[in-house]
Amino acid sequence: MASSCSQALKQHVCKSSTILRVHLQKSWPKRSFVLNSAADQQPAVSSPEEIVIPKKKTWSKEAVLQALASTVSRDPTASDYRLQDDPYLTPKTSSEFKLFSLSQESGKNAAKYFINTYPKYFQKDYAQPHIPCLMPETLEAQIEEVSEAALIERIHMRKVKAAVDLYDQLQQAGTPVSLDVTNQLLDLICFYGDSDPAQENVPEQRNEETEDVQDEPQTKKGRASKASDQLKAAWKENNNAERIFALLSEPNTHSYSALIRGMVKYGAYSKAFSTYTDLLNNRLKADVNTFNALITAAPEVKEKYNEKWELIVDLLKELAEQKIKPNLLTLNGVLKALRRCGTLGKSQAFPVLSEMKALSIDPSLASYNHLLGIFYKPGAPFLGQTDILQEVMNEVSGKSFTPQDPDDAQFFITAVRICLDTKDIEQAYSVHELLGVGENWRLLGNDLQQNIYYARFFSLLCMMENIDVMLKWYRDLVPSVYYPSSNIMRDLLQALDTDNRLDLIPQIWKDIKQLGHANRQKLVEDLLTLMAREKQDQEVQESFAECALDIKKMYDTGDRGKVIMSWTATSLSDVISVLLAAQRRQDAWEILKLFKTHNRVPSEELLNKFLTCVTESGEVNHAVELVQISAGFCLPETPKLIQRVQQEFQLSEQQKNILSDLEIQTFNSD
Amino acid sequence: MATSLVRQTKLLSIVSSQLNPAACFRNIHCTAACLKNRAARIREGKGDKSVTYEQAYHPHHIGHRKGWLSQHTSNLQGEDGAAERVVEDVFIRRFMYGTFHGCLADEVVIKRRGNLLVICAVMIQKLLPSKFYFLIGYTEELLSHFYKCPVKIEMQTVEEKVVYKYL
Repeated sequence: MASSCSQALKQHVCKSSTILRVHLQKSWPKRSFVLNSAADQQPAVSSPEEIVIPKKKTWSKEAVLQALASTVSRDPTASDYRLQDDPYLTPKTSSEFKLFSLSQESGKNAAKYFINTYPKYFQKDYAQPHIPCLMPETLEAQIEEVSEAALIERIHMRKVKAAVDLYDQLQQAGTPVSLDVTNQLLDLICFYGDSDPAQENVPEQRNEETEDVQDEPQTKKGRASKASDQLKAAWKENNNAERIFALLSEPNTHSYSALIRGMVKYGAYSKAFSTYTDLLNNRLKADVNTFNALITAAPEVKEKYNEKWELIVDLLKELAEQKIKPNLLTLNGVLKALRRCGTLGKSQAFPVLSEMKALSIDPSLASYNHLLGIFYKPGAPFLGQTDILQEVMNEVSGKSFTPQDPDDAQFFITAVRICLDTKDIEQAYSVHELLGVGENWRLLGNDLQQNIYYARFFSLLCMMENIDVMLKWYRDLVPSVYYPSSNIMRDLLQALDTDNRLDLIPQIWKDIKQLGHANRQKLVEDLLTLMAREKQDQEVQESFAECALDIKKMYDTGDRGKVIMSWTATSLSDVISVLLAAQRRQDAWEILKLFKTHNRVPSEELLNKFLTCVTESGEVNHAVELVQISAGFCLPETPKLIQRVQQEFQLSEQQKNILSDLEIQTFNSD
Repeated sequence: MATSLVRQTKLLSIVSSQLNPAACFRNIHCTAACLKNRAARIREGKGDKSVTYEQAYHPHHIGHRKGWLSQHTSNLQGEDGAAERVVEDVFIRRFMYGTFHGCLADEVVIKRRGNLLVICAVMIQKLLPSKFYFLIGYTEELLSHFYKCPVKIEMQTVEEKVVYKYL
C-alpha cells in the first residue's frame, strides 16, 4: 500500500513536473536562470507605454567614472581645471588666465618639438594596449621615390606643396595617377587654398612659409588662428587646383565637388557657379556637399533679396531633381542665407523649418541661431517678436546637443544678446540652464565667446535683478569662470546704487583691485562719486574712508614716474567729502593741497563743507589757510568765506589783518 | 669567489695562529660596504645648517614619523615590476631636479594610480607663474610620451624652503 502510494506519488510528481517543465519551456524559452526575476516583472497587460526590459545591458568603460562625476558639481572657489590649485599659480585677471594657459600650451609644444625631432628615445612601448597618440609623430615623408604611394603619404601628412610637386613629377614621368588619388589631391588643395597649413610646432619652417600667398606677417609666429588666416587668402587665378582639374581627362562628381567647395571657401563665388554650369553641361550629377557650398555662395552673387531667394529655390529644385537627399548643413545654409534676405527671410523661415521636420532632420543649435538672427536683427526695434525666442527655448530646453555645424557656437551668445535687448531675465535663466544640460557646455565656444556670453548675462542681471540675487551669481561665477571687465563692474556699482547697498562698495573695490581694473579712470571716478554722495553710518563711513585713501594711492605716480590716472576736480572733491564725513581732517587737509599741485579748482560747496568741518574742530589757523587757498584760486565765494570766518572764529590780530588784506584784494579784483 | 676567499682567510688565520699562538685574529673584510647606518641621514653639525622635515628624520622613521616618497603597488604580494618602478622614479626625480632647477623646496612625491603617474612637488616661488606653467606643460608632455602613460603634476608653492630645524 505504501509502495503503491509512493508509486502513485512518484508518478504524480513525475507528471506534474513534466507538466511544469512543459509549461516552463513554453513560456520561458531559452532564458537563463538569472533573469527569471526580471521576466516575472513583465506586465501581463500591455500598457500604452511598452516597457521593454533588455536581455542584457552593456556598460561603457567609463560608466563608473561618469556616475562618480555626476555626483560632483562645479567648485565655485577653484580656478579652471587646466591650472594648478595654488594661490601663487591662480590667475586673478582674464589676461593672466590667458597668459598661464597659453604658456602651458607652449610648454607642451616645446616638448612635442623635442619628441618629434629625436624620436629614437621615445620608441620603447610600455603601454598595453598600444596608445598611438603617445608615440612620436613622423613629420617628414618617408617614401622618397616618385610613386603614387608617396603621393598618398604626402596627402595624409597635409603637405600641399610637396604633394603638388610630386604630382607634377608623376605626370612628367608619364605614370598615370588614378582618379581617386587625384580627387584626394584636389580635396587637399581646395581645402587649404593652395598653401601649406601653418606649422605651429616647428619654428624652423617659418621661413618657408613666407613664400606663400598670405602677406600677413602673423603667420610667421604660427598663431593658433590659422583657419582665419587661411580664409583671408583669396582664390587665385589659374592656381594649382584649376590646373590639375584641367589636366583631368574625365573629371567626376568628386572632382567638381572639391573644386566648387574650394572656390566658395576662398571667395571665388561666380567662378563656383560657372564651374557648376560646366558640371551640368557635362551631364554629371552633383553631390550634397556641392549644393551646400553653392547655397552658401548664393547670397554673395546676387544683390536683391528676391533674386537671392529665387537662386536658392532653383538650387533646391535641382537638388530634388538629381534625387540627392539634403542634409542638416543644406538647410542650415538656406537659413543662413535667409538672414541676408531681409523681410523675405521672415516669411520663408518657418517653411524651411517644416521642410526640415518633414525630412526628419533634427535642427541643430545653428538652425535655431539663424532663426533668431532672422527675426531679431541687432539694433532694430522689436515689435512683439519675443514669442520666437520663447518658442525656440521651449523646443531646445532639456535637450543635449552635439556639435554638427560650425555656427552652433553662436547660438548662446545670440540668445543672450536677444535677452539683453528685450530685457527678458526669465529667458536668460532658461538659456543658462540649457548650458548646463549634458554636453551643451562644449557649444559655448572659445574663450572670447565665453567672455561675451558672460558679459551680456551679467549686464542683464545687473539691470533686472535685485542685489542679493546678483551677488549670488557674482560669487558663483567670478572669478572661477569669468573675469568681469570694467564695464561690468560699473554696471554692478549702478545696481548697488539702485538697491541702496552702498555699504558693499569697499568689498567691490577689493575685487576691482584684484581684477586689475584699479587704474580705469571712469570706474574709479564712478566709485568715488557713489561714496561721496550721501553721509552714511559711522562704520560704513570708516570703511569708505579707508577705501578712499586706498584709491588715492592708485593716483600717485608709479615707481618710474609713470602717471596712471590723473586727478579731476570732481574726484578730488569726492575724496575730500568722504574723508570729512569720516572725521579725518588731517588726511582731507593733505588732499586739499593736491588741488594746487595738480592744477584743479575746488568747488564752492567743497570749501563751505570744509569750513564747517574746521569750525567744528575749532582750528583757526586752518580756517585762515582755507581762505588763503580760496583767494589763491581767485574764487568768487572768497568774500563770503572771509565773512564766515570772521563771524565764526575768534581771530588774532595777525589773522584779522590777513583777512582784511584778502578782503581788499578780492574787492579790488571784482 | 667569496667562499674560496673565506676558506683562504680561515686557512691563513689557522696557519698564522699555529705559527704564533699568541697572535690576535685579524680577518679580512670581503663584502661590499653597505653603510646602512649612514644613508639618508644628515649628521649634526655646528647649528647653522637648515634642514627640512624630510631630511631631519632618518630612514627608520619611515612609517612612523615620515611618509613614503614613492607610492605604487608593485611591492605587494604577487605584483611585479618593482625594479622598473624604482628606475622610473630615479629618472623622474633627476628630471624634476634639472627642469625646475633651484626651485624644488623638498623631495618630489610620486604616486601611481592605475595608469596615471602623479608627480607632487613643492616649489619655491622663484619663477614667474607663467614660467612655471611652461615647465609644467613641458614636463607633463615629455614624460607622458616617454613612459606611455598620462603624467600629471600637482604643484604647490611656498615662499621659501620650510625649515624644520637647524643642525
